[in-house]
Amino acid sequence: MILLLPLAIALLGAGLVLSLRNPRVATRAALLVGGLEIVALGTIVWQVYEHGVLRAGRYLRADALSSFFLVNIAFISGLVLVYASGYLRHTGEGRFSSPRWFYALVFLFLFTMVSVCLSANLGLLWIMMEGTTLASALLVGFYNTEGAVEAGWKYLMVCTVGIAFALFGTIVLYLAAVKAGMNPAAALDWVSLMDAAPRMGFDPHLVKLAFIFVIVGYGTKIGFVPMHSWLPDAHAEAPTPISALLSAVLLNCAMYALMRYDTIASRATGPVFPHTLLLIFGLMSMVVAGLLILVQRNLKRLMAYSSVEHMGIIAIGLGLGGPLGLFGALLHVFNHAVGKSLLFFSAGNVRQNFGTLRMDSVSGMARTLPQTSAALVLGSLAIVGLPPFSLFVSEFAILSEAFTEAHYAVAAVFLAVLSVVFGGFAYHLLRLLCGEPNRVPANGKLIPSEYIVMGIAAFCLLFFGTRIPHVFTVVLQRAMAVLR
Amino acid sequence: MGLVEIATGKVLSSFSVFLFLTVLLLVVARRISTCILLFSVQSAIIAAEVFATGFQERLAEAYVVGALVFLIKVVAIPRAFFLLVDRLKTSRDVKASTTPTQSVFIAVAMIYLSYAAVHSYGQTVHVPEDALAAAVALILTGAFLMVSRRKALMQMLGLLVLENGIFLAALTTTFGMPLVIEIGIFFDILIGLLLMGIFTFRIRDTFDHLDVSKLRRLRG
Repeated sequence: MILLLPLAIALLGAGLVLSLRNPRVATRAALLVGGLEIVALGTIVWQVYEHGVLRAGRYLRADALSSFFLVNIAFISGLVLVYASGYLRHTGEGRFSSPRWFYALVFLFLFTMVSVCLSANLGLLWIMMEGTTLASALLVGFYNTEGAVEAGWKYLMVCTVGIAFALFGTIVLYLAAVKAGMNPAAALDWVSLMDAAPRMGFDPHLVKLAFIFVIVGYGTKIGFVPMHSWLPDAHAEAPTPISALLSAVLLNCAMYALMRYDTIASRATGPVFPHTLLLIFGLMSMVVAGLLILVQRNLKRLMAYSSVEHMGIIAIGLGLGGPLGLFGALLHVFNHAVGKSLLFFSAGNVRQNFGTLRMDSVSGMARTLPQTSAALVLGSLAIVGLPPFSLFVSEFAILSEAFTEAHYAVAAVFLAVLSVVFGGFAYHLLRLLCGEPNRVPANGKLIPSEYIVMGIAAFCLLFFGTRIPHVFTVVLQRAMAVLR
Repeated sequence: MGLVEIATGKVLSSFSVFLFLTVLLLVVARRISTCILLFSVQSAIIAAEVFATGFQERLAEAYVVGALVFLIKVVAIPRAFFLLVDRLKTSRDVKASTTPTQSVFIAVAMIYLSYAAVHSYGQTVHVPEDALAAAVALILTGAFLMVSRRKALMQMLGLLVLENGIFLAALTTTFGMPLVIEIGIFFDILIGLLLMGIFTFRIRDTFDHLDVSKLRRLRG
């Protein structure tokens, strides 16, 4: 029953916030509901840690892998809600674009993402994955400007079509399972599918076909090149807290869905086929996004392309497999989420103060916005993978796995892209921070809601770079055991 | 053999032909209202096939799904579309970027391609090849409509045709998915269309037109 709790809180919370017309009251209610949601998610994670797998009915289930992603959702959404409470201070009342609509849609968005991680059934997983698109489309178009409407429409169309392919893949997998003699009522159940996977391996064509459609479908949501076209637009045009949620939680949830299919396909057809596909998409995403980072003019588009690159890194970790590869991939999911939220929060401050995100029209920011600049530099150093930050640890693990398995070409491309990205970030940041200050900030100092969340994120990046707590390692290792 | 059995047999043996017909008509239609009607007809054919399959395989669930398809795709969605066309007060032309002749040739090529694609799978899966080819042809046509028609409404319609194809593929290969999942998918489609409807109004209000090909401020 405890599995229903976060879902109920999110749904009821959305209704409650929507009914409060006073923006200040709505914000407080949203923070309260968010707190309850985090407690509920934390309880599930703790229960799974203590007692192992939890089930509720035929459709909900939480194991170590889901609980690892729940930690990610709870942590980042907590940061985002606090940050948003300050960010939305000056937002007026509009149709679907007032603070109460914002929080209500955020809770619906959270509801769908938590459901994705708790689904025991691949059909339900698909329904909720499509739900994430629907819940967040209005948030992407929140500002109702030309750019926001265009980005929202593009997001809705591209992701719906992409996800339709994942549905087709799910149907093909269902067909393969039924043909392998499974009971049709249980043929979408992930656990039963894992049990029956070796039997489906006698006729691997259908499973392979299914995996191709699924990787294209969910890959659209993850932002794999060449299906990434929605991603930079949506991230750049959405309100900053939403950009952080999209990049740090949504992409990870889609990656989670792909992991579930990858384990079934690996067990049915052997790991070579699905892992080769993951490596191809991962490398393509890294290379293309790494090069596009160099030519960006908008700060948030820069961050968005960096997300594509990092999703590529995670896919490469999964594709290499092996203990270090999986460890690196899962750890990178968390580290990237923390690092990218810090960067988006800093970008949000830039926008609040200068009213623009164009990097060529701002210079000398180090003097006008010293605190935000410090956060931006710290986040960027972390995101390009320098020690002592946590992303270095996970990227290093993936790289060592590539060498262990003698994938020298993969390792070479990986290193080359990382250095290109480093150059890109250094170039953009230097131009932004140095030089003569050319703009006067609206409000140079950080407000409490900003420095608290940015401080927590920065601390996490440093802390996880030096040591990983024992509890976290145990959760990680159990999640890896699910993926084997 | 009773009348119902004969009707069932006829529906199951001939529905793919009718679906190919709707595909060919959809790609040459010049007015949005024609396309909406064609989509409605196409969904009606699929609903008939659901009922026929349910009768033949003695699946009670199929009647529920068939009724849902009829209510949502034959009645509700086309009605909502007509309302949308009316309220948006936009021109009725679909703004095709291919001429009708080109479209027909492309449609024929897609039907041929569908048969070629399902040929190898038809034998392993033991389903009628025509049905599976019709499903793939619908998916391809939906995608083609989405990329070649510049009106926002036609992109929504293309998406629906594509979804019809996926539904048909599920139906012909596995007699449909479990009922709860089917209902969830229908629910998603409805919400998705509602949101796209909201966005068409926003596009019209912010850009003063519904030509999606002119939405290209965001690049790179």
